[in-house]
Amino acid sequence: MPEPLRKSFADLMVLLGAEDPNLVVMVGDISHGILGTFREQFPDRYFNIGILEPTMLGIAAGMNMLGLNPVVHTIAPFLIERSFEQLKLDFGYQELSANLVSVGATFDYSQLGVSHHSYNDVSLVGSIPNSKVFLPGSKSEFYDLFQANYRAPGLKYYRLTESPHDLDSKTIRTDGKATVLREGRDLTLVCNPATAALCLEYAKSQSGEVDVEVLYLNSIKPFDAAAIQDSAAKTRRVLSVEELSDWDGMHNRVLRALQLMTGVISGSVAVSGYVHEYGSKEDLYKYAGITLEKISEEAQRLATP
Amino acid sequence: MQNSDIRIRIAEIVRSSKEGHIPSSYSVVDIISILYRQFLRFDSGNPHSSSRDYFVLSKGHAAAALFAVMESVGLISREVVDRYALTGSQLGGHPDRTKVAFVEASTGSLGHGLPMAVGMAIGLKIKGKTNRVVVLIGDGESQEGTTWEAALVAPNRNLGNLCVVVDWNQSGMQLNPIDNPVEKWRAFGWDVLEVDGHSETDLGSAFESFFKSAKSRPTALVARTVKGKGVSFLEGHGSWHHKIPSDAEIQQIREELDA
Repeated sequence: MPEPLRKSFADLMVLLGAEDPNLVVMVGDISHGILGTFREQFPDRYFNIGILEPTMLGIAAGMNMLGLNPVVHTIAPFLIERSFEQLKLDFGYQELSANLVSVGATFDYSQLGVSHHSYNDVSLVGSIPNSKVFLPGSKSEFYDLFQANYRAPGLKYYRLTESPHDLDSKTIRTDGKATVLREGRDLTLVCNPATAALCLEYAKSQSGEVDVEVLYLNSIKPFDAAAIQDSAAKTRRVLSVEELSDWDGMHNRVLRALQLMTGVISGSVAVSGYVHEYGSKEDLYKYAGITLEKISEEAQRLATP
Repeated sequence: MQNSDIRIRIAEIVRSSKEGHIPSSYSVVDIISILYRQFLRFDSGNPHSSSRDYFVLSKGHAAAALFAVMESVGLISREVVDRYALTGSQLGGHPDRTKVAFVEASTGSLGHGLPMAVGMAIGLKIKGKTNRVVVLIGDGESQEGTTWEAALVAPNRNLGNLCVVVDWNQSGMQLNPIDNPVEKWRAFGWDVLEVDGHSETDLGSAFESFFKSAKSRPTALVARTVKGKGVSFLEGHGSWHHKIPSDAEIQQIREELDA
């Protein structure tokens, strides 16, 4: 079983907290158990600040004005969507910096309803100038991405999935670039960590019929447009499969990458509207139409435009 | 009238640029003026001095008052203030920290200043520094929920290095008349001082108490003020909130303030 990314986060904070006296961890009444070691070792730099997410972001901005490097952590819809004006003004407008670490994005809290779902968080943070948006799918990806970026200016958003993949971590790039999980000639599937297994399963199911290439992206901003273009030049058909919003998720970045290419067609499997259902994460993926069947349907549509 | 020169300057730059909130600025100008003249530590040669105190104008629409006071103490030049809110200016209708040295926080959308000030006060404690943080908020602004989220955090973090000044000019009571900031801030665990926000004696005594003594609890200084204070036709909650005076009205403002 892959290590839960929330544990990876807690462990990395202890490591970095020891070497960086300016690193401050602030949480909105979650993960305080798993962050206990950080709290014990650095009590002056740990804050379970309360259930007041927009204010937590404002406080983080004030800390950054004093030269501290805040790491702010809570559930994605409250960290990002509830607090968007603070992200926009306290950080974007003021050109301040923080690290945002979420859990519970998309359907990770699948039994808790729409209030605890979040598919537009990536788009919102990405809209802020000088921000970075990462979707690490494993411990090593999170460690590498966080350590390489957490001192950089601006907002850095690390969206931790509750379902890390079990791909060989040595094969996954952690420099903002895409990883080719599988080479193919007929169709490009662009996935992120949450949809990687589904895309690989689809590719495998097509062996001998459609030769599917699978591109894996754990960075939405920066976005590796060149990798999309290189693959599209070969396959001429590109299908994004993501757990983000169909309004402004990863596929819009893919479209921008393709906008000057002729003879390339593309499609999208993404979350449309709100999903008013309960059940397992897999159940909600089905309700949202992020399924093998939907991928197959879209792939066939691209094959016969 | 104290600070009459600064009040005239505010009216003039608003008139020149056709932008600004004169009554809101007159409500707080005496508070900002005494802070910069007598209490806030700053190095006019170094906006990033590590020994400076921090001032946040959370009700950013009173920016003209902030800029006019900063000019009066030599933190902004007359030439820069002359260009207030005009094309290409560093100064606008709300302060922007990325454009104006000595402005600590960019404000405008209400309810952002106090949370940031709480973060600054916590940051100073983490760094073991004794600098002080003062944040000026409006009573109307205090209807924003983030104000009370932050008001809850500050006493629970023992932020004795933080002072919130509430510009109690009764704007908030126009909308929600049941409103007593003295009782509210006290209920949230702050040390509360109620003063006349236009009295140099009152303000001086209250700020003396905050700046010169070690405290464990944050200070809320509830300042009874008059919107438009000092000019009869600007006072109160009428049409002048965001209105630009004519040349004749500027002359009237000068005459009343010079009297």
